[in-house]
Amino acid sequence: MLALLPQLLLTGITIGSIYALIALGFVLIYGVTGILNFAQGEFSMLGALVCATLLAWHLPLATAALISVAATCVLGALTERLAVEPAFGAHPLTLIIITFGVSMALRGLALMLWGADPYALPEFTPGPPLVLLGGVLVRQAVWAIGLSVAVVGALFTFFVRTVPGAAVRACADNAFACRLVGISPRRVSLAAFTLSAALGAVAGIVITPITGATYDMGLGLGLKGFVAAVIGGLGNAPAAVVGGYLVGIIESLATGYLVPGYAGAITFLVLLAVLFLQREGVLHGAQRRQA
Amino acid sequence: MTRRGAGLALLACGIAGLPFLASSAYLLTVFNIIGLSTIVTLGLILLGSSGQVSLGQAAFYGLGAYGSALLSRDLGWSPWATIAIATAATAGVAYLVGVPTLRLAEHFFVLATLGFGIIVNVLMVQLVDVTGGASGLRDIPGLRIAGVSLAADRAFYYLVWGLALAALLLAQNITSHRTGRALRAILGSEVGAAALGVEVSRYKMQVFVASAAYAALAGGLYAHYIRFISPSPFSLYASLFFLIMAVVGGLTNIWGGLFGAALITILDQVIRAQVPRVFPRVGGEYQTAIYGILLVLIMIFFPSGIVRGALDLGRLLRPVGPEPAKGGSA
Repeated sequence: MLALLPQLLLTGITIGSIYALIALGFVLIYGVTGILNFAQGEFSMLGALVCATLLAWHLPLATAALISVAATCVLGALTERLAVEPAFGAHPLTLIIITFGVSMALRGLALMLWGADPYALPEFTPGPPLVLLGGVLVRQAVWAIGLSVAVVGALFTFFVRTVPGAAVRACADNAFACRLVGISPRRVSLAAFTLSAALGAVAGIVITPITGATYDMGLGLGLKGFVAAVIGGLGNAPAAVVGGYLVGIIESLATGYLVPGYAGAITFLVLLAVLFLQREGVLHGAQRRQA
Repeated sequence: MTRRGAGLALLACGIAGLPFLASSAYLLTVFNIIGLSTIVTLGLILLGSSGQVSLGQAAFYGLGAYGSALLSRDLGWSPWATIAIATAATAGVAYLVGVPTLRLAEHFFVLATLGFGIIVNVLMVQLVDVTGGASGLRDIPGLRIAGVSLAADRAFYYLVWGLALAALLLAQNITSHRTGRALRAILGSEVGAAALGVEVSRYKMQVFVASAAYAALAGGLYAHYIRFISPSPFSLYASLFFLIMAVVGGLTNIWGGLFGAALITILDQVIRAQVPRVFPRVGGEYQTAIYGILLVLIMIFFPSGIVRGALDLGRLLRPVGPEPAKGGSA
């Protein structure tokens, strides 16, 4: 039983790093606009499938990945402009239903364009798996963990050190005051959707060499990222990242030690437990008690 | 007779006469599905009247279906009794789910129902010994009255539409008297309603339990009509489907439930028949693209439903002149 533990933890951290990226996308949009973006997972799906298609057109992997991230960014911006912006200021439930609509539309369109068959991407650096602490780690997992840490680091630097980053944080804090000092909340909202799409696309591309990519991968990824964001308190980016790793590890342990089919339910049991215990999220609550 | 009573009588006559005009087995099946969907959608609209949206409606639908199917099939009880028991039990489950979730802010409540729906669906797939797993339950007994089977599409039609009309009347009653005024106050502002002495949590719980009971009743009827159930009609996708029906009709508009269920069920049939001609390669849930776009468009342009939206549009397009007198003493 215990011999499995290192392996399960490594797997959990790998998938958790992907959930962390998606959770960060949620938090970004929620913080700025107050919208729960249920289409977040679809950005991952699109990033992965566009990348696979470009690769099939014999583009180098790095180029294909960059183009597909850029394409997903455009799509994120379009989502904001075409679906969210026209309903700006509507009831929060209206906006949630809209993002559900966007998610369904993107999934259906992907099915029409790519069909139901899974697509693959090669590992970024092929080679034999690494052995670490008694567990096996495929090389792509190192990429997943490393890239997510790098992206999260870059994002925090952006928010803390740059003026546009400060504008986004200011907008999350008080949109009205932002307008008074000349920051347009609508432009910041556009930026948040674009950036979240990029985060989603990176997550989708990085995980595809391990799991493959299908038109319906976004739903599962998005919901897990969502649970991670809620565990982290939805308004708190570092906590959302930790939440991502937690969800990954919980899911991996549940798959290893329980019947695998129940793993999906476990994640949502955790979600319900978190919602029941504390609306602001477990990590956020703990932080608050310390303060 | 009030205008509303006359409208209802007209509707009842129309529904009673419909099978004589369109009597093919296919059309009757479609009508029956519309009737079942209407009942589920009415539940969502009751819930919507209190400003809540649920993404677990299909789970309650499924609990009603599985509960009634298992009790009648394995214990040999009469399906009429088991539908009632399963509906009551599902209402009980909704109460238990509602205690911790209804105090959450609205978007967290959506999340909680979503999580609940997924867990129930996973259990349906995984508890193979009880539910038959992904391959489902077969040989569910059909409904009978005094030895006469109601399995035929036409007999079931009158049953399901009789119940749908009763459900409509009940929902109408709930939302048009004291409870309705309380719900509208809650919809406007929970804090404001509470300040005026409305017991917010009690009313929210009542409509949540009622909405689950509506769904479970329809689920029980579905199980004994189709006589085979599997987890897929009770998935998250189905919950979204019911939500679309409610949204099309207007999330707080009781009559819209009937309209939304009919429009979306018919649209679904048309899409299933026509889209494969254009995109022969695709299978599965390609129609989600169309529903997704529809959902976005409705929420942007007609957030209170197509019926209300069309009425508003008509008023806008009317030539400028003296404002017409509003419909009498209604």
